[in-house]
Amino acid sequence: MSSSAHRRLLQEYRALTNNPPDGITAGPVSEDDFLHWEALIQGPEGTPFEGGVFPAELRFPRDYPLAPPTMKFLGEVWHPNVYPSGLVCISILHAPGDDPNHYEHASERWSPIQSVEKILISVMSMLAEPNDESPANVEAAKQWRDRRDEYEAKVRDGVRRSLGL
Amino acid sequence: MANNEQVNVPSLLVILALSGLIVRYLFFSTPASSRAQQQASRESSTARNREAAVQQLQQMFPQVDRRTLLWDLQRTGGNMAATTDRVLAGRLETPPQSFQPPPPPTPPAAQAPSPAASAPAEVKPAAPDLITRYQLQDKLAVTATKTQETESGKGAKGWSTNKEERQSLLQKRRDQMILEARRKMEAKIAAEKEKAGAAAS
Repeated sequence: MSSSAHRRLLQEYRALTNNPPDGITAGPVSEDDFLHWEALIQGPEGTPFEGGVFPAELRFPRDYPLAPPTMKFLGEVWHPNVYPSGLVCISILHAPGDDPNHYEHASERWSPIQSVEKILISVMSMLAEPNDESPANVEAAKQWRDRRDEYEAKVRDGVRRSLGL
Repeated sequence: MANNEQVNVPSLLVILALSGLIVRYLFFSTPASSRAQQQASRESSTARNREAAVQQLQQMFPQVDRRTLLWDLQRTGGNMAATTDRVLAGRLETPPQSFQPPPPPTPPAAQAPSPAASAPAEVKPAAPDLITRYQLQDKLAVTATKTQETESGKGAKGWSTNKEERQSLLQKRRDQMILEARRKMEAKIAAEKEKAGAAAS
């Protein structure tokens, strides 16, 4: 592995351990491979995701932080910006050249000054406020737009199921 | 005589098999039977390329269903770049009813996680819950009685210079987060039940 990616990730890991943001736990699955992390994100309060804990995996490219990691939820997450596969689709995970539709402003996208912490916080606020413009899960987006009650009930169900209740 | 028959049985079988093949070519392929074989091999290699292309496209666009992608690939002559552009521009057409592509070559068990986006509810039927995923069954009962202890243990976070210790601290924080969420949700459900019971009586 490139040593600069390793150094940077170790530094981020330390910062996240010493000052973990509220509702976030993240670190490498095993320190033998610093390019593969697992994170837990708490569902934001006041949303149907409240009370839930959502595991996700982060995979970093060798040239991190030049290129962004990918993030994938490991359990069920019913959300307009999460593909049925669990893959998260938000602007901070896209490199500036990556957006053929120009939906996103360059400032919202990935750059080396972003960080794992910022990604996880962005994902947390994405859970609270879906972005309707480029849905990754079309069905969830439709339901969120047209039948909000059903959407929220489905999310709440998923949260309870994920906790084994 | 008996010897003759013994020799004849295998050759008879060969003749039967051959005539079977001939009949197949005559009746079940295009009239140009001499070219049929060539065409068939060409078709199968196109099918293979198509399959590779559609798999790549599905990785990029899991929300688009396989049939739609195959239909577009067929129309673009297997041009992945053109199909990609059309997906991105939202100009994909719905394939006609009559278009029935072959199923993906993977065994049924393996293809289960990638059905069309129109049935997302069935995509992950077996996502294990967090308790199972992190093997916390044993800790469920224990921590319920030690709530206060874990709460106070929260302060014991921090960076360790020891790799193993770091790893186990991270795991501990993760387990705590899940168990706490589970406990809170249990309490919430209990409260809801109580409320429902009170309302009913």
